Amino acid sequence: MTWTLMGWIVIGMAAVLLAAFWILFRTHDFDAIRYSAAIQSLQCAQSSAIERGRSRQLVLGNQLNGWTYPGLGLHALACLPGFLSQESVVEGGLSVAAGDGALAVFARQITRQYYQQGFSLGLHQAGVQTMLPGPTPWSLTAGLLSTHPQKFSGSMALLGYFGAEALLWSEAALGNGGDVFSAGGTLAGQSVLFLNVRDLLIGERVFMMPGKPDANRVSLAGWLTEDVLRLLLIVGLVVGAILKMVGVL
Amino acid sequence: MKKLPAIIVSVTIGLTVLAGYFFQAELSTVLSLIVDWGILLAGVAGLIGLGYLAQYHLTRLMKREKGAFFSLITLLVFLFILVAGLTLTTQNPFYRNLILNVQVSVEASFLAVLAVTLLYASLKLIRTRGWTPMSVGFLISALISLVLNLGVGMTESGTVLGELVAFWRRLPIVGARGILLGMAIGGLIVGLRVLLSMHRPYGEE
Repeated sequence: MTWTLMGWIVIGMAAVLLAAFWILFRTHDFDAIRYSAAIQSLQCAQSSAIERGRSRQLVLGNQLNGWTYPGLGLHALACLPGFLSQESVVEGGLSVAAGDGALAVFARQITRQYYQQGFSLGLHQAGVQTMLPGPTPWSLTAGLLSTHPQKFSGSMALLGYFGAEALLWSEAALGNGGDVFSAGGTLAGQSVLFLNVRDLLIGERVFMMPGKPDANRVSLAGWLTEDVLRLLLIVGLVVGAILKMVGVL
Repeated sequence: MKKLPAIIVSVTIGLTVLAGYFFQAELSTVLSLIVDWGILLAGVAGLIGLGYLAQYHLTRLMKREKGAFFSLITLLVFLFILVAGLTLTTQNPFYRNLILNVQVSVEASFLAVLAVTLLYASLKLIRTRGWTPMSVGFLISALISLVLNLGVGMTESGTVLGELVAFWRRLPIVGARGILLGMAIGGLIVGLRVLLSMHRPYGEE
């Protein structure tokens, strides 16, 4: 068996499982019991920031399509509607920052689409500010730090593709009394944020985000598919290791 | 219904690119065309993004917000670099030196700040997360990795100590692979959800 064939099998299996679970949940009732303390804290921090009239900042990372972590940019965009739904009742205060032109354009398109659907002035360009502080990781850092509120920060959510520089973003927000939540980043980004961000999703838990807080059928189908694939992978790795140990492979 | 053509186009192109990974020889012509279009669109998106950046700083300048002076500097430097890049081209030695000498030194400064922040954040890890198995494990493994990377405990392979040191050196790679595999599965599912049009962030589900 070649690696190409293996790749096809994994992708095919994922597509079939995803479609099967999606159809299943369309016809049957479902109960999404996936509690995440970090996501609960994010919701509290956002509500608190809105009530106190403080800023909400969402960072979508600095790449839409990275080679090592190809899904992260897309994942950040998939999470954006969840953040916008809260903003429809507020008069501005959310800023969406991206370090890639394509990410910024897509983010603005998504925001505009939600504005057209909901006719909420809160989602208008003046309400939700989409910006590109810088087109490279460090220029994004420089831009974010210079535009960050100097005092009384609200909530900051870090999504998408970013590296160790995220520590500087989070430190700036925490230092000004803000709350930071992270669901994304490279391995380096996740490990540095482990040091100072309490509400942090690591590894595959990052991909729980688009369906939270209100899980829908697609999210649930995605989570279940992930679970099945993960289980198969673990079994495959253990069996492979045993076979190698006894000299079969 | 209005979104149907967009969905059909995106799904077709997505599936073609996906198939291209496995049938490179057969689809190379179509793939190179799609990739060229993709690069062109990404370039245009980059330009629009830079437009957002300029618009943001212009707005700050017009409203005379706090820090508007820095926005003015940013805009002036941006215009200067843009004009220099267009007239001198990016291959010009003066232009390359101008960009690299500024960019590299600024990035080095940021890395220095990051190193200090990292040290400070490590010192207050327990205060942030408390005495949990995760935080204690993180701290101990970070310390062991630091010590091992200093070259302490370098012994000949084949001895028990040598094998133990090699095991400790391999351990972070094993953990990283585990996280990467999980993220790869998550990324695959996100991609498939968008590709199969089950999840449409740009519109209603």
